This record gives sequence, structure tokens and C-alpha cells, in this order.
Amino acid sequence: MPQGASRPANLPLGAAPRAGSAASVRGVLEVRDLTKRYGLNVAVDRLTFKASPGRVLGFLGPNGAGKTTTLRTLLGLTLPTSGSAMVDSRPYRELEDPVKVVGAVLEGPQFHPGRTGRNHLRVMAAAAGLPTTRVDEMLRLVELNGAGNRRVKGYSLGMRQRLSLAGALLGDPRALVLDEPANGLDPQGIRWLRDFLRAQARDGRTVLVSSHVLAEMAQTVDEVVVISRGRLVAQGSLDELTHGVEAPVWVRSPEPDRLRAALAAKEGVSTEPGEAGGGWLAVRGASLEDVGTTAAENGIPVYELYRPRQSLESVFLELTGDTEAGR
Amino acid sequence: MTRLVGAELLKLRTTRTFWALSGSALGLVLLIVVLNVAIEDAFGAEHDVVELLSTVGICGLLTLVLGAVVGAGEYRHGTIAWTLLVTPQRLRAVGAQVLACALGGLAIGLGIGAITAAIAIPWLTAKDAAMPPAGDLFQVFVGGGVYAGLAAAFGVALGALLRNQVSAVVIVLVLIFVVEPTLAALIEGFGAFTLTGLGAAMLGVDDGSDLLAPGTAAVVWTLYTTVLAGLAAISTSRRDI
Repeated sequence: MPQGASRPANLPLGAAPRAGSAASVRGVLEVRDLTKRYGLNVAVDRLTFKASPGRVLGFLGPNGAGKTTTLRTLLGLTLPTSGSAMVDSRPYRELEDPVKVVGAVLEGPQFHPGRTGRNHLRVMAAAAGLPTTRVDEMLRLVELNGAGNRRVKGYSLGMRQRLSLAGALLGDPRALVLDEPANGLDPQGIRWLRDFLRAQARDGRTVLVSSHVLAEMAQTVDEVVVISRGRLVAQGSLDELTHGVEAPVWVRSPEPDRLRAALAAKEGVSTEPGEAGGGWLAVRGASLEDVGTTAAENGIPVYELYRPRQSLESVFLELTGDTEAGR
Repeated sequence: MTRLVGAELLKLRTTRTFWALSGSALGLVLLIVVLNVAIEDAFGAEHDVVELLSTVGICGLLTLVLGAVVGAGEYRHGTIAWTLLVTPQRLRAVGAQVLACALGGLAIGLGIGAITAAIAIPWLTAKDAAMPPAGDLFQVFVGGGVYAGLAAAFGVALGALLRNQVSAVVIVLVLIFVVEPTLAALIEGFGAFTLTGLGAAMLGVDDGSDLLAPGTAAVVWTLYTTVLAGLAAISTSRRDI
């Protein structure tokens, strides 16, 4: 989808009304103390998190961590053993017009191979009471309008993903739940998806997306929930996770001793000189802003100031490594 | 509910299975009727004509299989996930599918009945066959349509309950060709309550056994289907998809 990034974020639903006002349909997705057991196997273990409107929440975890089970429970397809998974404080099964509240892309087969892509969407639209014009709009949006009348068995994996996405967007929902939506997409498609998801969030929608493509997620999400073996191992903004709570601020100054003394006067701040010398100091317990302001207030020159940022991939491997090693 | 039934009918119409089984039923019925009328010289008794025209009852067997394939096919192809994302209430989802298949089966039965009547009745009349009264002919063709519709509904409910196409079709065939004849032979009066017996009753076939009245047979069949559909809805709501 080469020109996807320049397209509008979404197409209007036209005459079809939304299911309720913006106040009543907000698209808040909330999982609370969710546990799902299959016999002796615990797929999801007391998991709690919340996805809010206007944000893209990345849902990360190794294979078999319980991501798909959690998302399917949120969508009412899997029953929780205990705890709850709610959309706007209601179980999905109790939503009156769910297509207009949550759009979903699921993993695995979902299409009759002998039905055309367009007919698949027509069936959904008919069941949801949406006009057929919406089907054609969505096919155009995901650039399948040329292949809409072909049977799904002739579609590539990427085309099926785009058809899934068209189905998810059919009702112009307030929230999107996407399980590995980048699977099978080409680089242009992945970029289009990223821009699309960001635009959806800017438009006030809630986006909950699971993916294995961590580098891609790092460019897409605002917040991250990391699970391993069904348990929550980390949650927070992408900045918090990749900067690391304990990571020191590094500062280089021609007057490191004066700067150390100035910072030592601040409560909870500790400093130590860098091993390589050169005026480097490692500062713990202070933000970049704290260090910069302290230096300025004391008239101490600063040449370099930064907090090392880990890649999402290294954070992910660090967080999930311990629990996965026990498998 | 109307829009859900409409969507299910669209689902039915947009796969080849529906058209292939409809075409097979039409071809089979016409082949048997045309060959019989062409080869057989004497249709001296009204009963012979009714018996020949009741070949449209084959539609019932094929729509039963169609229903089972459609009901279980939702799970085979994973389309059940989309169905339940749009309609999370299981009873409504299964109910719409059963109603749509009933309408689809009815359309197949009535359509094939009409084509058969249009070909066979003038031909039989031309051969001086003993034509039964219009009421009896109406019973065969309309009863055949109702039978095909109810059979499709039963099949889809069974398919939704079993979730496996092969199992559903095998169970349907074993039930009709093995279990029912065996039980009917062992238990007196049971034959009238078998699917085969109820189907024959709806077609108005007088085979000498004690069949139920056509309306009663349709009600009993509907009862069977309702129980199966209820079980399918309960089981769907308690299972992970």
C-alpha cells in the first residue's frame, strides 16, 4: 500500500449512525484479574491492564504467553476462568451493537475460501445493519477493491490480513483489537498500518495491538504491556520501558567535581564518575531535566547530557527471559 | 433478527456448496422422474403417480446434508468468529442460522418441486396416467418443500452442535440409514417418529405404515430441530471459539 500514509485516517460511515453517543461509547478496554486455565495449564494468570482512548497499547509476549487468549476473552470468544475482560465496563457479549464499538483482527483462519472478499464483508455489513456502500469504502481503504470479487482462497496472507482489517473497520468502531495485524504485510503495508494505527489513536480511538515485530511496535505504540507465561511482567509508557526506571543519566562537564557537589545537595540523588573519565558522571535519582537545570543554576557548563535508551527488543528479552527460561 | 437471517441467507448464497447441492438435488430428482415416466408405460393407479412424484423428497435428504455442512463449516473455516463478533448472543446467532437454512431449504424444495411438476404433470397427463386430485399433488410438492426446509434447519442445528463437518454428515447418514430402520423394526410405532417417517408423512406418501398427519409430522420435526438448536446455542455459549 504505497500511498497509504497520505490517505485519510478513516472513511466516514456515511448515513449509518453510531451505536450511541461518544459519551456512552468510548471504547475503553479493561482486563482485570483475568485468569484462563485449560485443564492444568494456566494460559493467563491474574492479568490486569487497561487500554484507553487516544492511545495505542502494544501487547507483547513470547509465543504461548497468553496474548491471543487474552484478546479473544476480551472479544467474548473465550470464557474467563476468573476475573473479567470488559469493553466500556461491559462484557463483549452484552454489547448491543459490537461492530460499532470494537473492531477486531484475529489470528488464524476466518474466511470461507470459496466466498469472495467483498461477499465476506457484505455478510458482516448485512448482519450489522450497515450499508453495502460501506463495504466498498473499506475495500478501497485497504486497497482490495480490485480483488474484492475474487475468492478468498486466491488471496495472499497479506491480502487476508487487509481483508480482516477491512472487517474490523466496517462499523467505524471506537476501539480496535488487533492480534498480529502485521503478519503477512509487505514493508509498505506495515508502514501503512503504523500510520493508520497512529491516526486512529489521534482520532480518539483505543488501539490494542499485539505483535511479534518489536521494532515496528516501538514506532507505533504509546504504551506497552508485556506478558510472559500468562503473567504481567511490565507495563508502562514506551519511554519508561526503554529508558528503564533505574537507568542513570549521563552528563559530561569540564567541571565534574562542581557538578557532583551541586547534584549531591539534591535529595535522593547520587553520582559517580564514569570509569572512562573525561568528565563523565553517572547520575541516579534525577531526571534529565533535573541535571540540566542544576548545572544551569550553578553556572556549570555541560557538553553532553543523555539517558541511554534500550531498544524495545532488548527490554522485551530482558523482561521475558527469566520467566521463559523456566519453561 | 430479520437482518441476521438476511445475512445468513447471503452467507448461504455466496458459497458454491449451496448451489452444488441444489443442482445435485434437481438433477437427481429430474433424472429419476424423467426416466420413470419415459420407461414406464402404465401409471394406472393414482398411488403410482404420487409415489413417483414424491421423489422430490430426495431434496430433504440433500438439504439435511447441506445444513450439516453449513452449520459445522462455520467452525471448519473459522467464520464462526466473525459471526459471533457481530452477534455475540449465541442463541440469536444459532437461531438466525437455523431460520436462514430453513428458508434456503424451503426455496430449494419448492423450486425443485415446481420444476418437477412443470415437467412431469403434463407428460403424465399426456400418457393417460391416473392423475391424483390436485390436493394430493399440492401435498407432495408443498409438503416436499416444507420437508426440505425443516431438514436443512435440523442439519444446521446438528452441525452447529457437533462443529465437525465429517462427523455431522456421517451421523446424519448413519441415523437415517442404520439407526432409524433398526429402531423402527424393533419398536412398534417408532417409525412414524423417525426422520424418514416424518418426511414421508409431510410428503403425503401412504406406504401402508401408520404415519403421522403432515402437519403433526412438521410440528414434531420442528420440535426435534428446536431441541437441537437449543443445545447448539447452549454449547456454543459455554465453549471457547
